[in-house]
Amino acid sequence: MKLGVDEDELASCVGCGLCLPHCPTFRVTGEEALSPRGRIAAMREIHWRDAPVDGELVRIADTCVQCRGCETACPSGVPFGHLMEATREALAEDRSLVYQPWWRRLGYRALGHHRLVVAGSRALAVGQRLGLVPSTRLGLPARLPLRSPALEPSGSDVYLFTGCIMDAWQRGTHTATMGVLHAAGAGVELLGHGGSCCGALQEHAGLGKQARSLASRVMAAAAGAAPIIVNSAGCGAMLKDYGRLLGTPEAVAFSARVVDVHEWLAPRVDALPADEWRKLAGPVAVQDPCHLRHVQRSHLAVRTVLRPFVDELVELDDDGLCCGAGGAYALVHRDLATDIRHRKLASIERSGARLVVSANPGCLLHLQAAGVNVRHPMQIVASAVAPEP
Amino acid sequence: MYERDASMITVDRPAVVCFPRTAVEVQACVRAAAHHDRPVVARGAGTGLAGGAVPVASGVGGPVVITTTKMDRILSVDVEDRVAWVQPGVVNLDLTRALAGHRMHFAPDPSSQQSCTIGGNVANNSGGPHCLAYGVTSAHVLAVDVVLADGSLARLGALEADVPGYDLRGAFVGSEGTMGISTRIAVRLTPNPPAVKTMLLDFVSVDDAAGCVSGIIAAGLVPAALEMIEGKMIEAVEAFVHAGYPADAAAVLLVEVDGLPGGVAEDAAAVASVGERCGARTVRIAADETERQLLWKGRKSAFGAVARIAPNYYLHDTVVPRTRLVEVLREIYDIAARHDLLVMNVFHAGDGNLHPLLVFDAREPGVLERVHAAGDEIVGASLRAGGVLTGEHGIGLEKKAYMSQMFSADDLDAQARLRAAFDPDERMNPSKVLPAGSRCGDLQGVPEGAWV
Repeated sequence: MKLGVDEDELASCVGCGLCLPHCPTFRVTGEEALSPRGRIAAMREIHWRDAPVDGELVRIADTCVQCRGCETACPSGVPFGHLMEATREALAEDRSLVYQPWWRRLGYRALGHHRLVVAGSRALAVGQRLGLVPSTRLGLPARLPLRSPALEPSGSDVYLFTGCIMDAWQRGTHTATMGVLHAAGAGVELLGHGGSCCGALQEHAGLGKQARSLASRVMAAAAGAAPIIVNSAGCGAMLKDYGRLLGTPEAVAFSARVVDVHEWLAPRVDALPADEWRKLAGPVAVQDPCHLRHVQRSHLAVRTVLRPFVDELVELDDDGLCCGAGGAYALVHRDLATDIRHRKLASIERSGARLVVSANPGCLLHLQAAGVNVRHPMQIVASAVAPEP
Repeated sequence: MYERDASMITVDRPAVVCFPRTAVEVQACVRAAAHHDRPVVARGAGTGLAGGAVPVASGVGGPVVITTTKMDRILSVDVEDRVAWVQPGVVNLDLTRALAGHRMHFAPDPSSQQSCTIGGNVANNSGGPHCLAYGVTSAHVLAVDVVLADGSLARLGALEADVPGYDLRGAFVGSEGTMGISTRIAVRLTPNPPAVKTMLLDFVSVDDAAGCVSGIIAAGLVPAALEMIEGKMIEAVEAFVHAGYPADAAAVLLVEVDGLPGGVAEDAAAVASVGERCGARTVRIAADETERQLLWKGRKSAFGAVARIAPNYYLHDTVVPRTRLVEVLREIYDIAARHDLLVMNVFHAGDGNLHPLLVFDAREPGVLERVHAAGDEIVGASLRAGGVLTGEHGIGLEKKAYMSQMFSADDLDAQARLRAAFDPDERMNPSKVLPAGSRCGDLQGVPEGAWV
């Protein structure tokens, strides 16, 4: 089978193995097959030597969290994320493999219809309260919100991208983010109809067509030239990648407007009113979402933004190893996701922090499910600069 | 997948890959392999560069690979006695990090230390930049529990100093999996030096840099590490780490001195003055720990950064007398040029341990033949200069054909007998280290005790 990969990109791994300890699935299994080097070897078997794609090769591709920690570790700069996305797309397109069965495709497609997402979430929330939904077994948060306060646009200086699941389950983070942006002097506009779902989950699942169609819709929903601020690391990484994904000048121009909220705030942090007495006592541990640290590489901005509002910020000692959330990964590969999370929990424990911040909805859900006291950095800043009346 | 390590060599695919968690499970794997007459190959992280962990079939069937990556626990740390017991799959850097709170570390620091396992270090008697001052792995392993070819478990060495009898631990360290598989290792812990200074000297001529290496040692200094990076390698490394390596330099030396603060300052000044005398363009001292770490990250990522130039590398790690560095390096350039290949050097200059990387694109037809021919000549040149085959990567598959250039038939026979004493059926990592026919053939059929 030919994978839609770039030949030179596939050839560019020298096999040194320096990525191994930075790969969460290798770390918890010790299996070469579940390491970046092993996965590239598998891709080469399929693409170069036409190896028959069996269940094992599908497992090798499907168990990758796509955290891209291997990319920051790779001295040769192998673009592993692209290789894996192309591989999964080829697997998904070969209908004989049944990689991504119909019901999953349907689920991913539904994420693009925001009213459906919100209505579905509300139905689940009602079901939870009636005791009809086995939340733990389904991997859902224990208490989904019944209703969320509406977001009110406050101007047109910047767009705030709100996402699909995040908007349904964590709208409080958006309220906080808008409060902070407002305090920094920016009027906030929301994306228009169709601009809810970035397509990252679909792209990572190999459903490239769905992802590209969503990308076009998001671009159409954010007209003008205002910066597009994102407070979800995963969505931000995806929006920044539209240029490559669609390959059009419009997409390149769109991606250039995308900025993580911390990246945008870091040079403006002095404009925020920081009162000594409102400072949060520490220690607070910063958990870097992979797509902020390894893909957008703007994780240091989180510290710059938090420092005036937190007494003691502490670092985790795991070199930014993934927490195992990985978008839909924690639902699809629960055992691996749980094992990966164990390492993160141990690192949090060693840090001595009682509060953890993480700038990505997936990480928040995954860590919360393990009982970690974790919040989005914007919630910390908002409670200092834009306290609720 | 399990048929290769960090070199390009592949021979056979493994028939079975085992992931034991305990010594008992390793014993079971080895016994099962023996029962079915299969060769056994131990594998750690697969970062070896000489094919030591590459499976080769022998006997009736495909090889059994025993991977130690799931045996990754640090079993005990005794700070007072400065010893830790670890399982073989513990990652080298993980051990050092776990010891940070005690201000201790595990001294051998191969460039792959963030990935490679202690078991692999023991098997290869690995080196690393800091082995110039601290010695290679053998100096840091006190005892090893080993599963032998018959599945029995033995302890080689002991925690106490000066144990009477033969040093079987010494024989085992560096045996590349041919004598057994380690299941528990007692490693020596080294206290962190109170002060460290790391310097970057940059040169516009490779000869000057190589001359400076001898100059530093001749001045009576023993730096903790003395590394050289040259040519295009500097560029590739800098593109990854952004540590401020001067891309226009012909060569740089990375020199580290450690010890008590007063002595360190003195040594650093001495290194700087030797450097200036040898023609260093600049001498930069890392201002803080972050800068120092970044410089080291650059050095230790060098092999991995090769794909920025070309997607494959091939190298030997011969060791030559320091005083012959200048001429051997020149010869290596000539050899590469003759075969129309690009060579990049990044190596442990302090102990003359070369790593000339021939970089190429294996997809280009005929290139491998040229690479191997150039490799042969590099080995020849090193041996002619009074050098040895390998400094730290091991013999594995890659260099065993050169063993007879280094050792006489008697030497090889003695080594083969030692190996046979541990593994009479040649089940443990066969076809490695010793070339076929090392054992004097006419002696094999002779009854025991016969006078020959």
